[in-house]
Amino acid sequence: MEIIQVVNCTKDYHSDGQIVHALRGVHLSLHKGEFAAIAGPSGSGKTTLLNCIGGLDYSTQGNVYIEGTDISKLSPKELSRLRLFKIGFIFQAYNLIPVLTALENVEYILLLQGMGDSNRKRKAAEVLELVGLKDEMHRLPHELSGGQQQRVAIARAIVSSPAIVLADEPTANVDQKTGSALLDLMEHLNKEKQITFLFSTHDPMVMKRAHRLINIIDGMIVKDTLVKRKNK
Amino acid sequence: MKKDFEIISMLAWRNVWRNKRRTILTLCTIVVGCAMIILLNAFAKGGHDQMIEDATGLVMGHIHIHEKGYWENKTIDYAFEADESIEKALSSNTHIRAYCKRIMCDALIAKGGTTKGVMIQGVEPVREKQVCGLYKCIIKGRYLSDSDSTHAVIGATLAQNLKVDVGNTIAIISQGFDGSIAAEHLTIAGIFKSGNPEYDKFLLQMPLKQADETFSMMGYIHAYVIKASRIDNIDAITSSLSKKLPNNVEVLGWEKLMPELVQFIIMDDVSGYLFDLMLFLVVAFGILNTIQMSVYERTRELGIMKAVGTTPGQIVALVILETFFITVIGVLLGVALGAGISYYFTVHPIDYSQYSEEIAVWGITTTIFPATVTIANTVVTAVLTMIVSLLFCIFPARRASKLHPVEAIRHI
Ligand SMILES: Nc1ncnc2c1ncn2[C@@H]1O[C@H](COP(=O)(O)OP(=O)(O)O)[C@@H](O)[C@H]1O
Ligand SMILES: [Mg+2]
Repeated sequence: MEIIQVVNCTKDYHSDGQIVHALRGVHLSLHKGEFAAIAGPSGSGKTTLLNCIGGLDYSTQGNVYIEGTDISKLSPKELSRLRLFKIGFIFQAYNLIPVLTALENVEYILLLQGMGDSNRKRKAAEVLELVGLKDEMHRLPHELSGGQQQRVAIARAIVSSPAIVLADEPTANVDQKTGSALLDLMEHLNKEKQITFLFSTHDPMVMKRAHRLINIIDGMIVKDTLVKRKNK
Repeated sequence: MKKDFEIISMLAWRNVWRNKRRTILTLCTIVVGCAMIILLNAFAKGGHDQMIEDATGLVMGHIHIHEKGYWENKTIDYAFEADESIEKALSSNTHIRAYCKRIMCDALIAKGGTTKGVMIQGVEPVREKQVCGLYKCIIKGRYLSDSDSTHAVIGATLAQNLKVDVGNTIAIISQGFDGSIAAEHLTIAGIFKSGNPEYDKFLLQMPLKQADETFSMMGYIHAYVIKASRIDNIDAITSSLSKKLPNNVEVLGWEKLMPELVQFIIMDDVSGYLFDLMLFLVVAFGILNTIQMSVYERTRELGIMKAVGTTPGQIVALVILETFFITVIGVLLGVALGAGISYYFTVHPIDYSQYSEEIAVWGITTTIFPATVTIANTVVTAVLTMIVSLLFCIFPARRASKLHPVEAIRHI
């Protein structure tokens, strides 16, 4: 079964009396364990598509299914729970709650889920170790580098073992080397933990790393290619 | 449910200290506002207490016991027997500092060819001095003593009008309790100047024993006059006495005896409350402004919190808790400061007595301005500040909770 299924999705924005067609009939399905990139120029609708898939926004028409559930029929409150339990989010930058340490930022998700004290601390620490921040756990976000902050965001996104992690241009605010290292990390998590990733980018270097490349232009998917996995 | 309240309150507490300068400024507004409200109310209460003391202290007393109907008619007929049971009720009440009996009636006073109307009070000199302070206003001669009989003290204006002086004799004529004509010659023992034109012009005091005889009272009196240990105890005394005393008498507190003063105090309170209200609003808007700013600045952060699964209710709780923390700290400090300063002025009233002669020119006889800080004042101020700020913060809290995560995250 597909983890994500987008069926004939459109999204219109109304601004200043004008209608912007951000998505025009998108079809897309993703299987468990995929490592896919949505690629396209700025303004092509990448963020809009991720928001519709992640239940942050309603599509104007069409349906989005997450593990078989049609999320366009869910109430805002149900969407909020869906995001908490099923979806991990990574945004471009400033992902973290500034007054919480790296560990607490990761714990925050588990707390919202209602997990008990000892399990929670252990699990959050484990995940931070996995992303290579064992020694930086107790630092506040502003005491971490941009790359480290994104690693915390990745840790937070995967800590509750969501069905899928959505990342909107996760490497856009860091330099090439750091971006490449972040991709290494995500690829590793994808391979080792079978976590499904869908991220957007307009950076050719990042596109090259994806196992599946979905090209979007003007709100339409124009090309969808499976890249043969290179064995390093 | 409990877990998330924990993390939300921890977040709120840290958010409060995120912008220390702004939080401290807000705290200052709350502290100064609360302290000012408490201090102003304490001075208002102190001033009113002083006014009540001034108005009741010389002649009126705090509480009267009358035969029913006396206060409306003020004629000699409404007298009652000063029996054991009343004395017992009075002496056993711990809130009562002192009490005394009085005979009261209107009379004509004559000297030479001049006749004037006067208000005669028959008093028990020694006990009267424990209840009322008229004896302190004697400017010539002396006050009455228990060994006096056909003696009297009169007001300075009256003495002037009659052209009499200490040692002179005057005649009084009135109707006795039994309907007979009552007449007596009294020797002037002293002249008082109270500052109250009413008393200075119309009041004559003579010993109760003699008055009983002159007006054929046969042991009946017109009033018990009571001094309470504290003004705040007056209500307790009147209600407890009303229950104990026989049916033919009534107990009247100063509020019934001097309704004009009550009116004045209410008017003064209203203007005081309006001022309080303004201060409350200044404080509340200060808090509202801070919370609104801090919510606006965190638009993106709140959007991300919502995106990862924080519910609108949790966001509302977060903003309300932030307001709560700031207000609680501010109110505690403000109440401590306000009550502290007020208490200082309760113990050390502002004293203008060294300028009393200069002030007297303006017709002001009060030279001491005490504050009276009460628990009610501080508690009400604290609770109202809390309520008003929490009510106000509902607006930014609701706005924060309704943020659309997508738009909030686009907001930098
Ligand atoms: N809230 C909005 N109001 C109006 N237009 C919007 C809004 N969000 C996005 N758009 C428009 O929709 C189109 C797609 O935007 P977006 O999904 O952000 O593109 P991308 O992420 O690929 O850069 C753009 O033309 C953008 O201007
Ligand atoms: Mg975008």
